[in-house]
Amino acid sequence: MDREYKRRNFITTFTKGNIFSKLSYVFCGLANIRYGQVTKGLLFLLLEACYLIFLFTTGVNLLRGLATLGEHEQGMGYNEALGIYEMQAGDNSMIILLTGVVAIVVTICFAAIWLFSISSGENARFNHDHGHHVNNFIEDVKSLTNENIHFLLLAIPVVGLLIFTFTPLIYMILMAFTNYDNEHQPPGHLFDWVALDNFKTLLMSSEKLSQTFWPVLGWTFIWGIFATFSCYFGGMILAMIINSKGIEFKKFWRTIFVVTMGIPAFISLKVVGTMLGEKGIFNVLIQKWGWTASAVPFLTQANYARVSVILVNFWIGVPVTMLMVSGILMNIPAELYESARIDGASPFVIFRKITFPYMLFVTTPYLIANLIGNFNNFSAIYFLTGGGPMTLDYYKGAGKTDLLVTWLYKLTADTNDYNLAATIGILIFIISATFTLITFQRSGSMKNEEGFQ
Amino acid sequence: MNNKIVIGLKTEYLLRAFIAVVIGFASILLPFTSADAGRKNMLSTMMNVLSADNSAKISFFLYLAAALTIVSLVLGVISYLKTGVKIVKAWMFVQIFATFFWTTLLFALKLILEESGIEDNFLLKNAGFGFWIGLAASYCSLVFIMKLAEVNVGYIVLTILGVMWMFPILWILLTSLRAEQGYYVGYFFPKHLTLKNFYDLFHNSAVPFGKWWLNTMIVAVCGCVLNTLIVLGTAFILSRTRFSGRKQFMNILMIIGMFPGFMSMVALYNILKGLGLNQSIGALIVVGAAGAAMGYHITKGYFDTIPKAIDEAAIIDGASRLQIFTRITIPLSKSIIVYQVLGTFLGAWSDYIFPRLLFGDRQSSYTVAVGLFWMTDFRRIDSYYTQFAAGAVVIAVPIVILFIWLQRFYVEGLSGSVKG
Repeated sequence: MDREYKRRNFITTFTKGNIFSKLSYVFCGLANIRYGQVTKGLLFLLLEACYLIFLFTTGVNLLRGLATLGEHEQGMGYNEALGIYEMQAGDNSMIILLTGVVAIVVTICFAAIWLFSISSGENARFNHDHGHHVNNFIEDVKSLTNENIHFLLLAIPVVGLLIFTFTPLIYMILMAFTNYDNEHQPPGHLFDWVALDNFKTLLMSSEKLSQTFWPVLGWTFIWGIFATFSCYFGGMILAMIINSKGIEFKKFWRTIFVVTMGIPAFISLKVVGTMLGEKGIFNVLIQKWGWTASAVPFLTQANYARVSVILVNFWIGVPVTMLMVSGILMNIPAELYESARIDGASPFVIFRKITFPYMLFVTTPYLIANLIGNFNNFSAIYFLTGGGPMTLDYYKGAGKTDLLVTWLYKLTADTNDYNLAATIGILIFIISATFTLITFQRSGSMKNEEGFQ
Repeated sequence: MNNKIVIGLKTEYLLRAFIAVVIGFASILLPFTSADAGRKNMLSTMMNVLSADNSAKISFFLYLAAALTIVSLVLGVISYLKTGVKIVKAWMFVQIFATFFWTTLLFALKLILEESGIEDNFLLKNAGFGFWIGLAASYCSLVFIMKLAEVNVGYIVLTILGVMWMFPILWILLTSLRAEQGYYVGYFFPKHLTLKNFYDLFHNSAVPFGKWWLNTMIVAVCGCVLNTLIVLGTAFILSRTRFSGRKQFMNILMIIGMFPGFMSMVALYNILKGLGLNQSIGALIVVGAAGAAMGYHITKGYFDTIPKAIDEAAIIDGASRLQIFTRITIPLSKSIIVYQVLGTFLGAWSDYIFPRLLFGDRQSSYTVAVGLFWMTDFRRIDSYYTQFAAGAVVIAVPIVILFIWLQRFYVEGLSGSVKG
């Protein structure tokens, strides 16, 4: 008998396999049953049966609904039994889309189980043919605490992510290719697939939407860059001052700044927002002090508002960087500083040639993550200005300090333009992905995750 | 030029400090008031304020700024002639106060000049150049004297920044204690202090703050336990074990994470409605826990720094992977656990968007974030502002204390994960 000692992959399991292996592509778990893992095999078979029952009772209809997103609009229809016209409930595109997505996700899950059952059956065959021990069901369960611990510990997170993150996300991504806007609200109206129309109107039409999108995108970038780097350098300088020689009560100083971090962001933002109002305490005080003659429109005039949000973000963000940088500063080898000092380097040169390069090297991934985080910094904008000041130049609802994310939120919450919101979401994804790819190429810590082990 | 060497002093700064103090003194004799008031110098302005019928109480800022500048000059002359550590230290303290009072003039000058009838509608930018030179000279003198006395100049920056950072916090504290209701008040310090705002917060039928607080506490505590366990488990698997599909799993998580989080909230809301979970705080906990695995990065980074040899030794001793996780990895990760718990706890108090969407108008389910935001709506802000401030204080104080107490772990957790 000629046994091959090479493991078979997904295709060769079928081509080279015996009748059981081949049949287990149709009847899941057959190979497991044949080679002694009866319970496991039956479980696979049961799961397959469940899926097939689901598919043929409801699944097919759900998937078919995805193609049309509903055909019967709600309206007056003729009831032949009663012989009168009456209001008839129509299809609800939103529910059809949602249940369709659920059917797709269930199918994906089953596909995963199917693949798993095949490889599991092949393993059983391999072990059996080579005279190894074939685990029985109890041993399989026990292996969950050891070599198969990833199934045990990842089960809950994966299920949670599938239901509460993955499914809604697919639903929302699909929505970007429909016309589910404020004029197509189910159940009164149906919406339909429109392919890439939303992207076209948003990116390159002469309509107001496109005239809103590009300035908002521009401000998102300006904001992201200013917010990130101001906090980065501010925090670094602050940490260096606190950690420098001759400053007593380092812990006291650190605590003063850390207090702002301990306060939930929405509270401090909301408080500062009310302080910056036209009759808020800042305006009251600066007039009292004789700094200006009239109230400053901190949050109500576009350019002032933009500077204000960056400054307030600075107030909130600097302590975070300060804490992080404090930790890294202590890791910089002291010999570097000593030798630099002996060579007669001034404090500025030491910063430029030692501290900063080291810091930049260590914190590049953090910096990029922070940049992406700031592009999506919903709370800093929403709690402070609410995106305002509003302007007639923009599509309804968008204001001069709106970022893409806050605009996205407004489109779903206020104007019900779900398709546009989804489209913007995908565009944000593309931006974030680009920056993440750059990080991947640049940073050693992501490539070499075992560097410290 | 006498180049004295005194231990404990950097005498090369002596001359600069001395010149700065002289300039500061000279500025007292330069035009101080605005052109409308005849560009009088500081001394004659002082005389006018002194002789005014109803000069403001804070006029002593002006007197002290001028007086201490003169004292500083005298001390400067003495320390220039007879340099010593003690005299320089005294000089520095005098200059610290002089600079302090010069700085307060930035805020108080308008009041002082207007109350004593010297100026009308005074604006700071119209002040004479003597004022600005005096202000700048006082800071320069302070810097040079501190350098002379080998004291870190960073204290000046830290003090100024510290005041700026504390200002909004002080304001919200004072507002929460303010007896006068309303949002628009024209002064910083309350006229009457009271604890009534705190009492009202918990005894107002329109604002069930106690219920909100309890809701948030439940969400926060459950979240701390569930989310931390899930994150630790996920991070452990991704960091310490190798299995097929691991890289792909991490990539999928990363891709999902790049979509803005609340893009999917509408769909999520519909799903929860379908499951009959909407408008309950249980949904908030479940959704929070379900998405927790996405935040595994920092914890994984921390686990990556634990030497693999420890695991290998345990395996040789016959430990299972689960035992390694519970008996070795977790006890070694105190700081990252604290970091994670703290982050989740804080997050529960500030999470706004999803609870807002989830609870709609059902006030009894609100968390404090949604509730406090509701109170600062423009229609309600005037009647609830002091209570809002009290609510903010009630939430912030325990968290701040917790945070200050545990900040060491926070730093360790963060710096363990960031590496080159």
